[in-house]
Amino acid sequence: MSEVKRKQTKEITVTIDGKSITTEYGKTILEVARENDIYIPTMCYLTKVEPIASCRMCVVDVEGVDGMILSCQEKAVDGAVINTNTKELEAERQNIMKLYDVNHPLECGVCDKSGECDLQNKTLEFNVSQQNFTAKDMYRPVQNWGFISYDPSLCIMCEKCVRVCNEIVGSEQLQVSTGGYKSTIINTKPENNCISCGECMAVCPVGALVSSDFKYTSNAWELNKIPSSCALCSAGCQMYYEVKPESIDNPTEKIFRVTNEYEFTSMCGAGRFGFDYANTTAFKDRAKFERAVEAFKKADTITFSSSITNEEALMLTHIAKAIDAKLSCPEAYGFSKFLKAYSSVSGKSLWGGDLATLAKSDAIISLATRVKDDAPMVKNHIAMAVKREKAQVVYMHPIEDSHIQNLVTKFVKYEAGSEEGVVALLLELLTRDKELPTELKSFIDELDIGNLSGESSISEEELDEIVATFWKKRRFSLIVGEDIYNHPEVENIAKMLAAIEKYTNYNVVVTPPASNSLGVALICDLEPEATGYTVGYNCEADFNLSSLGDGDLDMPALNQQEGSIVTINKQLVPLNVALGYDGYILNDIANELGVGRKYTIDFTSELPKDKGFKGIEFDSLANNFSKYGEDIRGYKLEVINVESKIELNDVEDLPSFDGIVVYNVDSAQNPNPFTQKSKLTKTEPKLLGSKQFAMAAKVKDGDLVEFELNGKKVRRVFSIDTSLKGTIALNPTSDMGLSAFAVSSYRFSQININKVGGANE
Amino acid sequence: MSLDNLKNRNVGVQNYKMLDLGHTPETGWGKFKQVLKRSVKLELFVGLKVTMREMFKALFMGEMHTVKYPFEKLPISPRYRAIHEMKRLLESGHYRCIGCGLCEKICISNCIKMDTRYDENQRKEVSDYTINFGRCIFCGYCAEVCPELAIVHGGRYETASEQRASYSNFEDMLTPMDQLVNQKEYPGFGAPTPVADKNIKKTPLAY
Repeated sequence: MSEVKRKQTKEITVTIDGKSITTEYGKTILEVARENDIYIPTMCYLTKVEPIASCRMCVVDVEGVDGMILSCQEKAVDGAVINTNTKELEAERQNIMKLYDVNHPLECGVCDKSGECDLQNKTLEFNVSQQNFTAKDMYRPVQNWGFISYDPSLCIMCEKCVRVCNEIVGSEQLQVSTGGYKSTIINTKPENNCISCGECMAVCPVGALVSSDFKYTSNAWELNKIPSSCALCSAGCQMYYEVKPESIDNPTEKIFRVTNEYEFTSMCGAGRFGFDYANTTAFKDRAKFERAVEAFKKADTITFSSSITNEEALMLTHIAKAIDAKLSCPEAYGFSKFLKAYSSVSGKSLWGGDLATLAKSDAIISLATRVKDDAPMVKNHIAMAVKREKAQVVYMHPIEDSHIQNLVTKFVKYEAGSEEGVVALLLELLTRDKELPTELKSFIDELDIGNLSGESSISEEELDEIVATFWKKRRFSLIVGEDIYNHPEVENIAKMLAAIEKYTNYNVVVTPPASNSLGVALICDLEPEATGYTVGYNCEADFNLSSLGDGDLDMPALNQQEGSIVTINKQLVPLNVALGYDGYILNDIANELGVGRKYTIDFTSELPKDKGFKGIEFDSLANNFSKYGEDIRGYKLEVINVESKIELNDVEDLPSFDGIVVYNVDSAQNPNPFTQKSKLTKTEPKLLGSKQFAMAAKVKDGDLVEFELNGKKVRRVFSIDTSLKGTIALNPTSDMGLSAFAVSSYRFSQININKVGGANE
Repeated sequence: MSLDNLKNRNVGVQNYKMLDLGHTPETGWGKFKQVLKRSVKLELFVGLKVTMREMFKALFMGEMHTVKYPFEKLPISPRYRAIHEMKRLLESGHYRCIGCGLCEKICISNCIKMDTRYDENQRKEVSDYTINFGRCIFCGYCAEVCPELAIVHGGRYETASEQRASYSNFEDMLTPMDQLVNQKEYPGFGAPTPVADKNIKKTPLAY
C-alpha cells in the first residue's frame, strides 16, 4: 500500500526525441509526450477515456526494448530513452493508414466531416495516394438512431463511440460487432433506450456518426465557432455554438450545430440538440418598453426564473433596491433556503464536493433525484466512477429508474415525502463510528430509527445492506438532488446533510435545480412569496418579460447575451453571444431606472465578493481547457467560512402521500421550456405511468386526462411506460412556458385524476 | 520561320526591296506642277474606286468584312474565362454539382454562395446557388477546383449590368435540358489533360 503510494509520487526522467523530461511516475508515454509538445500521431486515442488501443498508430521505439511499444498504454519509466520518429515507425504508421483507407468511400465532397476529419488529415500526413490492398466491398446501409445517423461504410472502427457510450455515458448502447473487415458498431437498443446524447457523434473522427439534422447542410469550414457554456442546466458544460447565415435568401445568423472540446469534456443530448431556443423575433418596440418601465416602477415584487445570468441577477437586486420592491424566485427559493441552512452547520458558504471527485469515488449514494433526467452530467460522472473505479452506487428515490439499472448496485425505495426521515436514517448510518459533537450525538440518539424506517419504508436490513455494499470502500460521494429543495422541511434536511459532510469523509455534490440557481441564490435575497403587483422575468407574473418570446416585452435568451452562470462545480463560467438580438435588454430597463451600466457585463466584476465571487472582468475570463485537460474556464468560487452551529429540529411525523401521486420531472433531452421551443428536442407532453398506475387511476394508454396541480388545471395524454414500476406517474413541465418557472411546490403531489377523453376519441 | 530569323537584327543583308516611288519634286515649279497634275487628273477618284467597289460588294453582294456587333459575335477561344456554366451529366441529365462547396471556399472574391440539404434520396442536394458577377474577377479557381467538372467558364463575356451586384442563379447557368445534346466539355482550367486516361490507376481487385 505505502509502496504504491511512494511510487505514484516518484519523480522520473525520460528522454523523448533527445529532449530530457522530468515528470512523475504513472503517466503514459503518450501523455508525457503531449504535455511536452511532442507529437505522436494517434487515430483512436481519446484523452477522456482509458486508452482504447485499437489503432496502433501511437507506436514508439524504446531503446533496449525489442519491438514497438504502444505509447498510449505503456507507462513512462525512469531513464527510458524513447524515439517517436524513426524510419521503421514511419513505415508502420503509413501501413496502418493504408489499411484504414481500404475501400473508404471517396465521398469527401459531400461528407460532413470533410475539413475536420482525422482520416483525411492523416491520409495526407502519411502521403497515402493510392490503394494497394483489396477487399470486397459490401452493402452497408445507413442506419438512423434517433438524432444520429450511422454510416458503417465510413466507419474506421476506432471504437471511440463505444468507449464513451460505456465509460462516460454509462448507457452501454453501442457495441462492437467483430468480424474482421465485416466489423461494425451496433446499437443494441436503438428504439427506446438510447438517450440520444450525441456523445458518440461528437467523438467520431470520421463522418460515420453525424447528426441527422445537420447532415449535408453545411461544410465544417463555413461555420463560425462561438465558445460558450451550455445554459440549459447547472452543469454549464463547455460548448461551441457553430453559426453561419441561415441561407442565401436569409442572411441572419443561425446556429447550425453545437460542438465541444470532446477530448476533455462531454455534453448531454439537450445541450447538443436543443440549441435553437433563441428569441429571434424581438425588435425595439418603444411603446412596449415604456410600459415595461412603468410596470417596474409600480411593482411590489420582481419574480424571476433562475435561468438568467449572474449579471442580470445582480441587476435585478439593484433594480429592486431602486424601486423598493421584493425579489422572488420560485425556482431557486427552496435551494437558497437549503444553502443557508446547509452552511449554518457546515461552516462553509458552499458544499464541498464536485463532479471530478465524484467520478473518482468508489462508493456513491444518489439521494432524492431522478438523476438521469435531472442532471445528466451527474449521471455521466456516476457512470465514470462505476466503470473506472468499480464504484458501488446506492440509488435512493421513490421511483426506480430502469434506464440506469446497469449503474446502480442497490436501489433503495422510500416513500414520497419522507426525505427528512431518509436523511435522518442516513445521518445515523454514516456517522455510526465517527467522533461527533455532543449536540449532534444527542440528536442522533434521540432519533426513533424504527419509526423512521417504518414511515419511510426503508427497512433496517436495507440500511445494513448499504453498509455491506460500501465495505472496504474509501472514496465516498453523496449526491443531493432537487426533490429536497421544495420539501417543507428543507432546512432541517439541509442541516443533517451538512452534518454528514462535516463529520464524515463524504464528497457531497448538491445539484442546483436550474442553470444558474446557485448564482441567483448567492447574489439575491429572495422572498418566499411574490405579493402585490408583480413583474416577472422569465416567470409568470402580472407583467412578463420573456426570452421565450411570448411575454409583454421580449428579452434575449441565454444564447443571445454575454454573462456568466455558476455551475454545480461552484465554478463561474462565461456565456457568449451566439445569435444577435434586436430588442431591449434588462440593462436598458436598469438604465432607465438609473441603476444600469454601459454594458451588462460591466456587472461581472461587481458580483459580491463576500459570497465568493472574485471581481474579475468578463473579458478576462478564460473559456478553455489546458493542455493537461484541466477545465480552466472562468474561475472557481471561493468558499467562505461562516459561523456554524448545530441546531437541529426533531424529526416529526413524516408526511405521507397516498392514492394517486405524480412527480414533476422532465426528460434529459427536454429539461425546460427552452428545449421545448427547440426544433429537435421538442416533445409532446405526456403523463407517463406504469400499468400499475393505470389500474389504480383507472385510465388507459392514450386517454386524455385532467388533474389539478399547484392550483392549475393540467390536461395531458396518459401513456403507459413499460420501463416504470410503482404507482407514481411522471409529469413533464417543460411545455408550461413561463408558468413552469413559477412552480415552487414539492415535486411529488397527490392528485385527483379525471378522464376527459378516451383513447380513440 | 525559325527563331533565328527573328533574332537577326542585321537589317542590311535582309531582302528589303526599295519601292519605286519616283522622285520628289524639289523646285517650286516642280511642286506646283505635281499639285496641278494630281488635281486635274482626278487621281482622287482612282483611289476612291477601290473603296466604292468594296462598298458595293459589301452592300449588294454580301461580302461584308466587319462584324456587326452586337448582332454578330466573333468566336472566342475555348479557354477564355467568361460567365460560368453549370454542366449536366450526359447520361441522366442530372446536374453534375455534388454540393461539395469547394468553389465557395476557394473563391478569392467571395462571390459564390451555396445552400445544401439532405434530400429525399439520402443525397446531398444543392438547394440554392448564386454567383455575384459584380464581384467575380473570373480567375477560374472555381472551375479548376471543381472535382466534377460541374462549374466551368463559358464564352458569354458581356457582364455589363445596371447595378454593381448582379447575381446569377444555378438554373440560369445550368445547360438547358433541350441543349444537352450540344453540351461541350470544357478544355480550359481544371479540365482533364489529354493524357488523363493513361494516368488512371486501377484499384487492385483480387477477389
